[in-house]
Amino acid sequence: MIQRLALAVLLAVAAIALLAPAIAPAPYDYQDREKTNAPPDRHSPMGTDELGRDRFSRLLYGTRVSVLLVPAAALLSVVLALLLSLPAVWRVPLAAPAVSGFTTISLSLPWLFLYIILRAELPLNTSPSTSVILTFGLMGVSGWAVPARVFTAAMQQLRDSGWVLQAQTSGMRTWRIVLVHGWPHLRSLALAQLRILVPVYILSEANLGLLGLGVAPPLPSWGNLIQDLQHPDVVRANPWVLAPLALLILVMICIECLQTSPDISPESSPVSLR
Amino acid sequence: MISLAARVGRSLLSLAGVVLLGGLAAAALVRYSPGFDVDENAWNPRIDAATLAAMHARRERENRLPVFYARYLLAAARGDFGQSESFHAPVTELLRDRAPVSARLLAGGTLGGLFFGGILAWLAVWPRRAGLSLFASGLSGLLLAIPPAVLALAFFFAEAPLPLTMAIALLPRVFGTMRTLLEDLLSSPALLAARARGVRPGSLVFRYILGAAAPQWFALAGVALMQAFGLLIPVEALCDVPGIGQLAWKAALARDLPLVAGLALIVTFLVAFVQTMGELADGGKA
Repeated sequence: MIQRLALAVLLAVAAIALLAPAIAPAPYDYQDREKTNAPPDRHSPMGTDELGRDRFSRLLYGTRVSVLLVPAAALLSVVLALLLSLPAVWRVPLAAPAVSGFTTISLSLPWLFLYIILRAELPLNTSPSTSVILTFGLMGVSGWAVPARVFTAAMQQLRDSGWVLQAQTSGMRTWRIVLVHGWPHLRSLALAQLRILVPVYILSEANLGLLGLGVAPPLPSWGNLIQDLQHPDVVRANPWVLAPLALLILVMICIECLQTSPDISPESSPVSLR
Repeated sequence: MISLAARVGRSLLSLAGVVLLGGLAAAALVRYSPGFDVDENAWNPRIDAATLAAMHARRERENRLPVFYARYLLAAARGDFGQSESFHAPVTELLRDRAPVSARLLAGGTLGGLFFGGILAWLAVWPRRAGLSLFASGLSGLLLAIPPAVLALAFFFAEAPLPLTMAIALLPRVFGTMRTLLEDLLSSPALLAARARGVRPGSLVFRYILGAAAPQWFALAGVALMQAFGLLIPVEALCDVPGIGQLAWKAALARDLPLVAGLALIVTFLVAFVQTMGELADGGKA
């Protein structure tokens, strides 16, 4: 019951995010200079910010950026991890120690430090669209290590399992074993990694936004929308400032409610070898 | 005994490998940073083109990555991580000034996180009451849903002690593991037998739970410390704490690559060291 409710809430948030341009009363960057820091009214349900931009519209567009790009970043991490794990497991010379070494070093550096290093290599004064690609792209690129370790272990188990040995001795090609018989096992694992990474990236984007290293204004995201929390007087004057944080927490709780552990046992093949 | 020595040897080898790879990454970061190859003599009108070309060739030779890496690593081993471009001070000096602040925050936050996480896990498991278990899981879930940076801001404005900020941010990140560990311990045959024989709860806690599972607790403390490292940047940057996390944040904003590289190398070494110690204490089970 709770899982269904959580799923319904997440779907509703995703639908609102997708329909943001149709629902929002104003574009996210439209400024009404005569209506700065205004309280909520009929035209601006959550009031306006210090530049006269409608908070409600910015929340809708910000939700769209976060809700669409966080899963994309998580998908990038999972795909990278899968691609890097494959040669390590299928006995490509030097691939295993190289991947293992880079995984260990990536895991030895806290994620935020790693992100900051990569971010410091790139220009900070970027356009909003570039900053979106940088923020979520770097998240996707730098988050491959944990899934790679999980995939490598699972693939090693698969490689050494009886049915893969049987398939190899039957003369089946490696790519066919991987795609037709290996992937169904790894699919549930990949989905589990996606489910783990999505909330991690939502929190990371929020942290980066508050630190000024995330998506650049005027493009809104949950991270830069909660920057207003640094000004307690603004929060006291207009509690709607807390709406992005409340929505973020609601989405996080719903994702937590959906978390279930998949069965990744490689003992039984879901696809018959015959 | 031999297996223990082999395990220690393998762990130390792995640690050395991580540091060497981390050093290579840090050196490459500094070597290929924008502006590294720029020579101010190039704008000196008194130096002729041939001399400039010869100087450039010499710099190229001296700064080839393997040579630069060896020099960087040797200097780092002596504690010299270069010069910060934004603070105009040696990186080592900056780290020396700020490390104690971060160390205090890390120690207080990690111990506090383990303490509060332990209490919550205990509440979820020991009394065997669905309501308490739900409350503990719910509280942990709620705290996990709040970005650590927001928690840090809230505690900062409430003027709460900063290690408490770190502890509360860390709590949900250790709660799950502590709960699983406690559940495993409480359902172990030895503990069930001890409970059936009427051993007092205090004795159970100290002899069986804290004593027998000390290696696992130690490994968990290592994991918690690594998590705390990750929380250093948002907590220190937003709460204006002059520690290593704030230094990393300022270095990133100023694109001060020598400082970022030095910090990365040191943090990599510290985290890998803690990880290795945790794995050794846990007997490689982790």
